[in-house]
Amino acid sequence: MGYEMITLRELVGTILVEEGKKNPDIFVLDSDLAKSTTTNKFQAEFPDRFLEFGIAEQNAMSIAAGIATEGKIPVYANFTIFISGTCWTQLRQLCYANLNVKLIATHPGMDGCYDGASHHSNEYLALVRTLPNLRVLSPSNPDELRQAVKLALAYQGPVYISCVRDSVPNLPAKEQVEMGKAVVMEDLGDDFAIIYEGAVTDLAMRSFEACKEKGMKGKLVNIFSIKPVDTDCIRKLAGRVKRLVTIENHTVLGGLGGLVAEIICDMPAHAPLKRVGVEDVFTESGPLKAVKEKYGLTVEHVLEKLEED
Amino acid sequence: MKNAKQLEQVANRNRKRIVEMVYHADVGHLGGALSSVDILTAIYENEVDFQEEQRTRVVLSKGHAVPAVYAEFVEKGIIDETLLKTFRHVNSRLQGHPFIRDYPQVDASTGLLGQGFSMALGMAVAKKKCGDLHKVYVMAGDGEMQEGQNWEALMASGHYQMDNLVFIIDYNKLSSSHPTNEIISLEPLADKLRAFNLHVISIDGNDMEQILLAIAEAKTVKGMPTAIISNTVKGKGVSFMENIPKWHASGLTTEEFECAMRELNEKEEELNRGI
Repeated sequence: MGYEMITLRELVGTILVEEGKKNPDIFVLDSDLAKSTTTNKFQAEFPDRFLEFGIAEQNAMSIAAGIATEGKIPVYANFTIFISGTCWTQLRQLCYANLNVKLIATHPGMDGCYDGASHHSNEYLALVRTLPNLRVLSPSNPDELRQAVKLALAYQGPVYISCVRDSVPNLPAKEQVEMGKAVVMEDLGDDFAIIYEGAVTDLAMRSFEACKEKGMKGKLVNIFSIKPVDTDCIRKLAGRVKRLVTIENHTVLGGLGGLVAEIICDMPAHAPLKRVGVEDVFTESGPLKAVKEKYGLTVEHVLEKLEED
Repeated sequence: MKNAKQLEQVANRNRKRIVEMVYHADVGHLGGALSSVDILTAIYENEVDFQEEQRTRVVLSKGHAVPAVYAEFVEKGIIDETLLKTFRHVNSRLQGHPFIRDYPQVDASTGLLGQGFSMALGMAVAKKKCGDLHKVYVMAGDGEMQEGQNWEALMASGHYQMDNLVFIIDYNKLSSSHPTNEIISLEPLADKLRAFNLHVISIDGNDMEQILLAIAEAKTVKGMPTAIISNTVKGKGVSFMENIPKWHASGLTTEEFECAMRELNEKEEELNRGI
């Protein structure tokens, strides 16, 4: 396809520096992974507002809660497995208090490829999207990541931004993204609709192209905002197209596929929903592409799901 | 600033409120609220001014002792006394554990043990960064010290020399089911805290004179956080509850309630005579 690829997590530090220049209340917390999350760029620019708490993720999450209580804006960046998993009750507790904490979670799903299943966070959407008060955004390109951070900072309350370690197409945003709004990227007909989250953007676009080549005319929908989700858009799609397919770098249980299923389940009639993602298994180590292919994230698998009865 | 005698009177009134709350709810944590109420009363009465925009913070990490906080909020006029009977009931603002939405004077929504030290550390960091000289006080239970996250927070606090942070351990020696040190021993607690680069003060946490001295000392410490090991009696102030594990989270019969209130009323008269 005619686009270059880019790793969004490489932009995290740069974007935080941009925002940090405008807002002196922003503090960035780290758990000894600043190089991997690229928040070391913020550290270099604003050493006084960069807070290192070492390999103690639960501590960092609750510290973020305390910083927010004092009216500052803590941004805690770490791997998804830690933010959504290791710190889940700490995160839940700050959501309960509705504190103004911003989370940037890198390495979602299988993006920690070589590290193996211990570091793969194929359950994170299920864990975070069920927390009341929490907003969950899944940007799919640099513009959307930048806009997601701006939206998060402008919002009073906890926000979780999923930020891919794998690469996504380096394309401009189709439109200005908003919380609660999906983006219809392509609309060629009603044969099918592919709904995807940020981490699988390339696969979703390639799958859509493959469908087009096979003469199928459908829609391509970038969900962007997992919570609040664009219920209206999804229900309209489900009532109109012949087939729905979700694609996610996540288990098919409780993530994007589960979310869409919840939204359409009470419609008297809706398109059948097929979910592409990791089945109910632990994954394994390997090169990113190979791991993702083995666990179902391929164009062939998407087409198979689209065409199966 | 109230003196020890005046604070003893307030703490005794707060004990009556704690007993009343748990009696009407028929469930709640009497033992830990009664053990910790003296030091909490002293801090709220003498150190916290809710009118200030930036102020001293109090985090109750052992959130189950929240009746001690609600009792003090009645004393401060934040909660109407008549609401105490709604504690832990549906539609009540008096939740079973601290919740900041309904009372912003509660500084942290806690309840899941082990998180309050870190939250307080976050507040202390923010205060240092913006030149706010107020202190942050945070109390954990002794059983709660078995939670690993507390030690993460202590390690970081010692490392960053957080001298605006005062950790209080309500060392009433009893956990939910057994003596704390029979479950997993905390000892040598003071040595452990010192090893984490904290200034350690050990007191009788049910003695108001000692409490006031400890708070005063904590305020003078520079370059390290303070830990107050507050040795207390679980169920303190109601003779039939003292040191009895059952009163960790048990409701009261009407007879028990009346007996407890009679004792606390007698104590009140005694304290009044002493002024």
